[in-house]
Amino acid sequence: MQVGAVERPRRRSSGAGQGRPGKLVYGLLAAVLLGSMFPLWWSFLVASHDSTVLSRQTFPILPGGNFLQNAATVIDTVEFWRATRNSIVVSTVVSASVVFFATLAGYAFAKLRFRGSRPLLVFVIATMAVPTQLGVVPLYQVMAKLGWTGELVAVIVPGLVTAFGVFWMTQYLSQAVPDELIEAARVDGCSMLRTFWHVGLVAARPAAAMLGLFTFVATWTNFFWPFIILGPQDPTLPVALQQLQAAHWVDYSLVLAGALLATIPLLILFVVAGRQLVSGIMQGAVKQ
Amino acid sequence: MAACGGDDGGEEGTGGAGGNGEVGAEPVTLSVATFNEFGYEELFTEYESLHDNVTIEHVKADTADNARDALRNSLGADSGASDIEAVEVDWLVEFMQYPDKFADLSDPSVDGRWQDWKVAAATTEDGKLVGYGTDNGPEAICYRADLFEEAGLPSDREEVATLLEGDWQHYFDVGKDFVASSDAAWFDSANATWQGMINQVEVAYQDEAGEIIATTNPEVRELYDQVLTASVDDELSAGLGQWSPDWANGFQESSFATMLCPGWMLGVVEGNASGIEGWDVANVFPGGGGNWGGSYLTVPAQGDHVAEATALANWLTAPEQQVKAFEAKGTFPSQVEALESEELLSSTNAFFNDAPTGEIFAERAKAITFQPYKGPDYFSINTALQDALTRVDVDGTDDAQSSWDKFVSDVEALG
Amino acid sequence: MTRLRPPVEHADRLPRPPRRIGLGSRLSRWDVKLSPYLYISPFFLLFFVTGLFPLVYTGWVAVHDWDLIMGQGEFVGTKNFVEVLTGRDFWTALTNTFSIFLLSSVPQVFAAIVIAAALDTNLRAKTFWRMGVLLPYVVAPVAVALIFSNLFADKFGLINSALGVLGIDPVGWHSQRLPSHLAIATMVNFRWTGYNALIFLAAMQAVPRDLYEQAAIDGAGRVRQFWSVTVPMLRPTIIFVVITSTIGGLQIFDEARMYDQFGRGGADGQWQTLTVYLYELGWTRSNFGRASAVAVLLFLIIVLVGLLNFWITRRIASSEVKR
Repeated sequence: MQVGAVERPRRRSSGAGQGRPGKLVYGLLAAVLLGSMFPLWWSFLVASHDSTVLSRQTFPILPGGNFLQNAATVIDTVEFWRATRNSIVVSTVVSASVVFFATLAGYAFAKLRFRGSRPLLVFVIATMAVPTQLGVVPLYQVMAKLGWTGELVAVIVPGLVTAFGVFWMTQYLSQAVPDELIEAARVDGCSMLRTFWHVGLVAARPAAAMLGLFTFVATWTNFFWPFIILGPQDPTLPVALQQLQAAHWVDYSLVLAGALLATIPLLILFVVAGRQLVSGIMQGAVKQ
Repeated sequence: MAACGGDDGGEEGTGGAGGNGEVGAEPVTLSVATFNEFGYEELFTEYESLHDNVTIEHVKADTADNARDALRNSLGADSGASDIEAVEVDWLVEFMQYPDKFADLSDPSVDGRWQDWKVAAATTEDGKLVGYGTDNGPEAICYRADLFEEAGLPSDREEVATLLEGDWQHYFDVGKDFVASSDAAWFDSANATWQGMINQVEVAYQDEAGEIIATTNPEVRELYDQVLTASVDDELSAGLGQWSPDWANGFQESSFATMLCPGWMLGVVEGNASGIEGWDVANVFPGGGGNWGGSYLTVPAQGDHVAEATALANWLTAPEQQVKAFEAKGTFPSQVEALESEELLSSTNAFFNDAPTGEIFAERAKAITFQPYKGPDYFSINTALQDALTRVDVDGTDDAQSSWDKFVSDVEALG
Repeated sequence: MTRLRPPVEHADRLPRPPRRIGLGSRLSRWDVKLSPYLYISPFFLLFFVTGLFPLVYTGWVAVHDWDLIMGQGEFVGTKNFVEVLTGRDFWTALTNTFSIFLLSSVPQVFAAIVIAAALDTNLRAKTFWRMGVLLPYVVAPVAVALIFSNLFADKFGLINSALGVLGIDPVGWHSQRLPSHLAIATMVNFRWTGYNALIFLAAMQAVPRDLYEQAAIDGAGRVRQFWSVTVPMLRPTIIFVVITSTIGGLQIFDEARMYDQFGRGGADGQWQTLTVYLYELGWTRSNFGRASAVAVLLFLIIVLVGLLNFWITRRIASSEVKR
């Protein structure tokens, strides 16, 4: 598992030449930016008219005034508020839990000496390449045995700690926590847990924030398992969205309004923490 | 998978298990799972105002297919089902294989409420009633009067009924005249037309012994060839796969002039064709009477409030409530009394040029002379056949023969 | 770096002599010995219960008749596998999966490298551009699929209308096999290209500058420098991106499921992927036995492709690949 550059030379100018790039580069990036935004803009256009707009030969260029009305209909049609609440609950709990347990394990792998730590870490890394999603049939049966089908807990539990998280925190903590600090705390008479609490956890903060962000996005957008285990009564947002698609007549102004509504929370997160997401990826985030 | 019901440690919500005792004034929340349009929204509000202690949560699944999957899953897991689950007639038989999963709804108060065949279909051999009938789908023909007129055909609903009186071939022949002088197609898709045809076959896919005969039954093959010849060779079909976005847009584009209309389809047409004028309903159906769809309300045995749920289902399927649902969404009653009721017979539909829909569908219901037998695999087989039609009519990836061969292998693979 | 604060409520503030025999020290010895195992145990426990056990148990389910509602039936050996492998659907789904995977990873890697190269210049408002390319990453695949399914509608979609303006016949995005793969691959690319571009950008920034200076002295222009310096240095990153997208790409479900209203991958299985097929077997037809057989086969395929990746990686003599 090769991880992108962790230590970058500071402020290197461009790979070639020092001047500002030409129009071509800006043009290319502007095109990419338009491509990134267009689908969302298109959804907004359609969602702000009514369903008949798509069948006119001329497509809308300006938004209409129907967006709020369509949004209200979506909220009535599917369990929208409940789905939003569920998505927030699931994503928050999973992110917090992943950050905590991954930091704990990462700290152990990075900073504590114990028998078998190398092979165990290799094992953790190896599991990243295992498509555990394919155990979905027995996992479903386990959840059914526990009586958890349709319950959020069935979505939360399998995500409580990830191999990627452990690996990420191990990488980070091995260079972020000087051994002397741990020694000092131990000499001070701190128990192992206390040491972890005051040294490991504090040092892990920047990496933990990023791990939390990525886990949040991944959990929020996750569909396969929630779709299988949750019924239409208690969905997460993506599961609720798929119910809009097949409503008995496909009203696309509603469907796309729903797609937008489900995206808004993450767009807000993106505006607030997009910078951290960018640097997180550049420090070697791995696609989950 | 062993059943693991019974012990549900600390269920949240309703303050202790309401239990299966008498219906007290304990506050309960009942969830009702439906699909498409049952027309229940206002009835729920009414029930809540009649019973202060009841809160109703409406879980609206998208399509019948997904409702079926969701119900299968919650029955398999013995948890997660709603207190009341709607079941479509096409997959009722499949669920009748597991009568233990459902509460017995037999009750003196519902004796004689529905047409006999409607009750018989939901009754097990040992006399357990699994579901309360909601609606039926007696079929008429919806048509665009304006397009008929442009093509030089009669457009008044009485005249159209006379014009279309006859068998399927006659319906297609009129269609040929129509498309010769119009830009629009005659009907929306082979899929939808197929539903009308196959529902007139007494034993289509599976015989009473459960033997699958779909691929060997000459009647099925003949109808298959007939509908595809009409759709593709004679270009009567608009080739818009039913329920697809293109199909929905087809209403706005005036892509087709007629479609098969069970009662519950009226709401669908109205939704898709909003702003389009000219839709009407004719009291006629090719090949005589036909029933497409219709449903039941069941009460899964796994629920915590079986008694309260049964009471609610009982109330919802009473004749007077079903008439209200019909007025809301066109779901035509299966209750004997409702069929006679003045409100029903006098109801009209503004969108369909004020057609006397109550009267028309009551007539269409009388034209139904038998109920086709649908075996436990009906739903899966029909899905495979619909796919076969779509391949030829909509996608154009196959011709009739090669698509049929794929259908045969699909049915064999059902295993 | 944070300063260590003295613990707030310390019961015995006396500095301890290092070797005091007693309960405390014995406890602390256990503390030192056991703590690491305790800290890593949550991951292992969870992995065994929700990851490994279900995966292994899938093999057990696959050799039985197993119905979603009726539960475990009798032992049937390889019957499920034979039925899956002799049926039409599995092979169709396998081809679709690989086709969509290739269409969504090869162009994506190219596009991501080009975008990364553009970002690796001396731009004004660097962060703005970087965030801009990352925007699609926060749109859930389900929402992406809804939007694109509409854009790619066969008769009334924007894309076919645009093609019509150019005088091109409408394409059967939902009826023809390859176009439907292209549409689904487009969704995957939409979401991940920017993300991967940032990974490549990080790798580009790690390329030592003197290599470029050296190349410049040798008279290489910008483009030449890119091909002879940047791309070779990116090799390990490319391999990494390909491996990660393999594991995800072969399990593609969301976009294919949501591409039409039925979610079965088309009437002819035009875009039915292996996971969509698995879902249909397990949760629509209630045939857990056969669904598990598909899961086992897909697992083997992913392992095979992974080994192939590994082998190629080994062949490419590049020291940076070592962890």
